[in-house]
Amino acid sequence: MDTAFLIESAAKVACVLGFILVGVMLTVWAERKLIGHFQDRIGPERVGPFGILQSFADMLKLLLKEDVIPSQADKIVYFIAPALSVITGLVALSVIPFGDSVTLFGRTIPLRIADVSVALLFILGTTSLGVYGIVLGGWASNSKYPLLGGLRSSAQMISYELAQGISLVGVILMTGSLSLVEIVRQQEHLWFVVPQFFAFAIYVISGIAETNRAPFDLPEAETELVAGFHTEYSSMKWAFYFLAEYTNMFVVSAVAISVFLGGGHGPFLPPFVWFLIKLGAFLFFYIWLRATFPRLRYDQLMGFGWKVLLPASLLNLAITATVVALKG
Amino acid sequence: MIDGVLFTVFALTAVGFALTMVFRRNPVHCALSLVAVLLSLSGMFILLNAQFIAVIQIVVYAGAIMVLFLFVVMLLNVKGETPLLTPGAAKGFGFLFALVAFVELLWIALSSVGEGAGRGTAPPVGPTFGSPAEIGRILYTTWVFPFEVTSILLLIAVIGAVVLAKRKFS
Repeated sequence: MDTAFLIESAAKVACVLGFILVGVMLTVWAERKLIGHFQDRIGPERVGPFGILQSFADMLKLLLKEDVIPSQADKIVYFIAPALSVITGLVALSVIPFGDSVTLFGRTIPLRIADVSVALLFILGTTSLGVYGIVLGGWASNSKYPLLGGLRSSAQMISYELAQGISLVGVILMTGSLSLVEIVRQQEHLWFVVPQFFAFAIYVISGIAETNRAPFDLPEAETELVAGFHTEYSSMKWAFYFLAEYTNMFVVSAVAISVFLGGGHGPFLPPFVWFLIKLGAFLFFYIWLRATFPRLRYDQLMGFGWKVLLPASLLNLAITATVVALKG
Repeated sequence: MIDGVLFTVFALTAVGFALTMVFRRNPVHCALSLVAVLLSLSGMFILLNAQFIAVIQIVVYAGAIMVLFLFVVMLLNVKGETPLLTPGAAKGFGFLFALVAFVELLWIALSSVGEGAGRGTAPPVGPTFGSPAEIGRILYTTWVFPFEVTSILLLIAVIGAVVLAKRKFS
């Protein structure tokens, strides 16, 4: 535990944080631009070339906006909730292997913040804590629609968490490890998306539901719930919820890439570049879905989670376990 | 050195939030304080080289059980606690429970004094200590009976919940 290690870790944390903040802004811009084109519009184009600075301008606007706190709100919890949302998302990123390693100043620096032996469980733990930010935000606003929206989205997240977690167990059984670094290493020749295709499909679907994105964006069903749990939030606190949503998209994509799509493995290009390409593709998929599918009804959503995804993931787990046991 | 610093931080947050859990009137604040206590404890498990237990502590207690607690508290919309007992009775019971807990802790502390010369230091552990594989191995060999009993207990609880819910709605 020497000083160099501490400095190295701090620098890596700063890099990941910067990467996420810039990445989120670019994703928001890309989303608006792509959705625009999907709908035969142009999308943002006024601020900077191709409107690329639009998100930066929006962020400045949010920073300078008045911060309105409802008079009957529970002040402490109202403050903590958006921060909790962002923190749980960011903490999960600490165990993602972004690539192989680089040599800087004579030190070999692995491109990840930490190689934890229980990385996958750690990520499931942080996502399960992510529910707090939403449910508390809805409760602390002390207002009807936020409370309903908060309950709805937390019920949704809890339901889909199960299928999401169980879909990952198949890969854990095949690799015999919970460490993401080890799981990525074992995919050098064959990505796990091939033998575990159903698990991959279940993971992606429940990941989208887990991040409250379209077509599972029930918490933000404007026609019924105004804006759901963040109705009463404004200014930077609202921006924190926004940041949390996109950070969680990054986490879900990064886990899917590491567990099913071979992490940084790929021909010719260095691992980090491959990771970025796959991440970009995954985020594009998210946006594509949003532009394609209408929102589900709430009972359809819960029914699908409990009656289709959960049994399917259990079946997949049982089959994988049998095959692994027979192979010895 | 850094272990000591981290231990102090986790210990102080755990004790501090345990106190707010007892003294806050608002049940949601109490529940949140309990979550903070659980998270601090999970940090201590990591310091003890038990990463698996630490993460399970977060997933099961902080991430699942406490969320349900919070749901119940929020949906009941309890505004401040209504006292269950008269102040005198509450004090009496409180004193009694505190005394029992104190005697218990004292007994554990005194009974562990005599155990060998290595008092105050933990016995050395192997390199696989605390790993999921090691925990799985002893869970399915040495402790398989308690493990199965627990699973049956949970199954009974699940069936009980279904039976109770059915009775209410039909």
